[in-house]
Amino acid sequence: MTEEKKPEERKKRRTATEAASKIGPMVKAAIGGTVKAKEEGKPLAYSFIVCCYDEIIRAMDIVPIWTENYAGICGAKRDAQRFLERAEAENFSRSLCTYALCGLGFDAWREELGEMPPDAPWGGQARPDMMLGSGQILCDPRNKWYQAAQHYMPDVPIYDVGMPWPLYEDDHDYRDVQDYYVKYIVEELKGLVKFLEKHTGKKMDWERLSELVDLSDKTWNLIWEAYELRRAVPTPMGTGDAMNTMVPMVFMMGTQEAYDYYKDLYDELKQKIAKKEGVIPDEKYRLIWGGGLPSWFALSDFNYFNSKGAVFPVETTYRMVEAIYNFDIDLSKITDPLEHIAWRWVKFWTYWHDAARKRPGSHPDVEQLIKYIEDYKIDGIVMHEAFSCRSWHPGLIWKLNLLKKVYRDIPSLVLESDIVDISSYNEADTRARIDAFIDILEAVKR
Amino acid sequence: MQYFAGVDIGSTMTKVVIMNQSLLASVIGPTGPEHRKLANRVMEEALKKARLSFKDITYLVATGYGRISVPFADKQITEISCHAKGVAYLLPEARTVLDIGGQDSKGIKLKDGRAVDFVMNDKCAAGTGRFLEVAAEELGVKLEDMGKLSLKAKKAVSISNTCTVFAAQEVVTKLSEGAALPDIIAGLHEAIATRIYGMLRRLKIEREVALTGGGAKNIGLVRALEAKMGFTVVVPPEPLLTGAIGAALLGRNIVKEAEEKGTPLARSKRRLQEATLFT
Repeated sequence: MTEEKKPEERKKRRTATEAASKIGPMVKAAIGGTVKAKEEGKPLAYSFIVCCYDEIIRAMDIVPIWTENYAGICGAKRDAQRFLERAEAENFSRSLCTYALCGLGFDAWREELGEMPPDAPWGGQARPDMMLGSGQILCDPRNKWYQAAQHYMPDVPIYDVGMPWPLYEDDHDYRDVQDYYVKYIVEELKGLVKFLEKHTGKKMDWERLSELVDLSDKTWNLIWEAYELRRAVPTPMGTGDAMNTMVPMVFMMGTQEAYDYYKDLYDELKQKIAKKEGVIPDEKYRLIWGGGLPSWFALSDFNYFNSKGAVFPVETTYRMVEAIYNFDIDLSKITDPLEHIAWRWVKFWTYWHDAARKRPGSHPDVEQLIKYIEDYKIDGIVMHEAFSCRSWHPGLIWKLNLLKKVYRDIPSLVLESDIVDISSYNEADTRARIDAFIDILEAVKR
Repeated sequence: MQYFAGVDIGSTMTKVVIMNQSLLASVIGPTGPEHRKLANRVMEEALKKARLSFKDITYLVATGYGRISVPFADKQITEISCHAKGVAYLLPEARTVLDIGGQDSKGIKLKDGRAVDFVMNDKCAAGTGRFLEVAAEELGVKLEDMGKLSLKAKKAVSISNTCTVFAAQEVVTKLSEGAALPDIIAGLHEAIATRIYGMLRRLKIEREVALTGGGAKNIGLVRALEAKMGFTVVVPPEPLLTGAIGAALLGRNIVKEAEEKGTPLARSKRRLQEATLFT
């Protein structure tokens, strides 16, 4: 029986920063916390990262269950296959998003048993009281996943928010239409608040929400400043660590804990820079992780890059903040917290539009890469195409080709695997590709 | 006199060359795990052909997927670098290399004789020699005869399945429907060429395109690829040896650089012994 398979034991990955090494226990505690919250009768909500409603649920004391996170944990612990297979047995296609498949397989199993599946990673994913979809315009499973989960939990209500932003057009300034987007988002969020009030029986504390929104702004600035420190040579932190340090950014926004975490990270990076302490002692190649979510079960590949003299001072993945003070709008003057959230959202997603319009044929995503390549003194670009993702990953090759067309040729490596499904991964082949890429970096540098 | 050896342990073939200023000896071994384990024997055979002993070899570079397991190599270098070097030496006009091996295929972009970009298919047999190997078994045809047979085709049969296993089943169905053998084989070549061309297009293809690996020995596949690309490709005299030649040449560069800089040469213990990975 597949369901009896034991996960493959993995050694803990070596991190460069103390901050990154704290994340595992933090996530474990958070997942354990949701199970405890369930026992205590607190309201729990299935939630998506980069959802726009972080502060809203925090202000209403709703405990988020980050379903993408739990699927990633199952992947990282190499214990996702039994949940993927369970979803497949439920007639879901193996070609669907493996975050969703893993979550659906888990839900189907938990609901059938009436308790957590045996040996569920880190105690399991608690049954929610509500499910909050948040697809925006980037990812259809973030709308459809919870609808499918309702097959197993028909009593759990769903609210689906749509959080659009103006798409890039080289002959139009998004500012012409930004007000419409903000109004739409505010309406969506008002609807969400009403839904939450109805299902929790509790009224929104608007003052508290404003405080949390301001706290998030402060945290955004702090994250941006901490990450910018990674420009240093040698870089004090790489993408391998950033795949850990992103946790408070996407799972804990609107909490003091997140702010404090990044304060510690900032201080740690400052100290490392002062001591010239890099990820590795002899930094030969500086790379950018230019797109794609990582294979959560193969984060040690970052260490393999390190063993070849390569470091990743920067990545576009999970760089989900900009400095608020760099926006062309003073958010502190927007007193309505929902409007504040909406403007921050629109300004974040349109941040690179102006740069793209200045370079004929370019695109905001490419401009972000160019800026990072220059600011962080980058020698090469690495991307990861996850086969099961139809939203974030399909445009990567296009982005890479456009970068080379409008900017310059730069050594590039596209890894192919998945976020959760380990059957798509071959360590020997992946490392052979990395070896070849290092050869190319060396040849280009000569 | 200095002698340089290149050992390319591929997934299905083991190739060894010995060079000084030019190619002195080469051996291409048959496939099989036992043979890979006994790469030392293939080396001995090459030495015998060159009338040299192992201690005469100044430097030895191993490449290919089994390179790590060659204990008598002085250095291991990736097949991308070795193929690039080999092609640049044999066909200096080449700007793009397409290597079709037994278990993978790869495209390499060349600039000034060095690899500057690459793409690889190591995920799916459908873009590799394995695809034709499986089909040849189903058709009861020798792999090496497939190229010439396909040239007799009147109209290539469309093979719609990209999966190797299902394509093999489709081949059987086509046979039972009465399709002519050459037409089926031409269809298989078209199918694999489409897949490989799709991969290669990730690189900006620049002429000349050099075709290497076992796939380059199949004239039907070469023609199918040329039809896809719209121009003719160049093929070295022995396309299986490119990686091993590149390995030997890179070894020569390493020795030359060390001599010029006056730095010591890092070498292995140099005992001709069995490969370790396959024991």
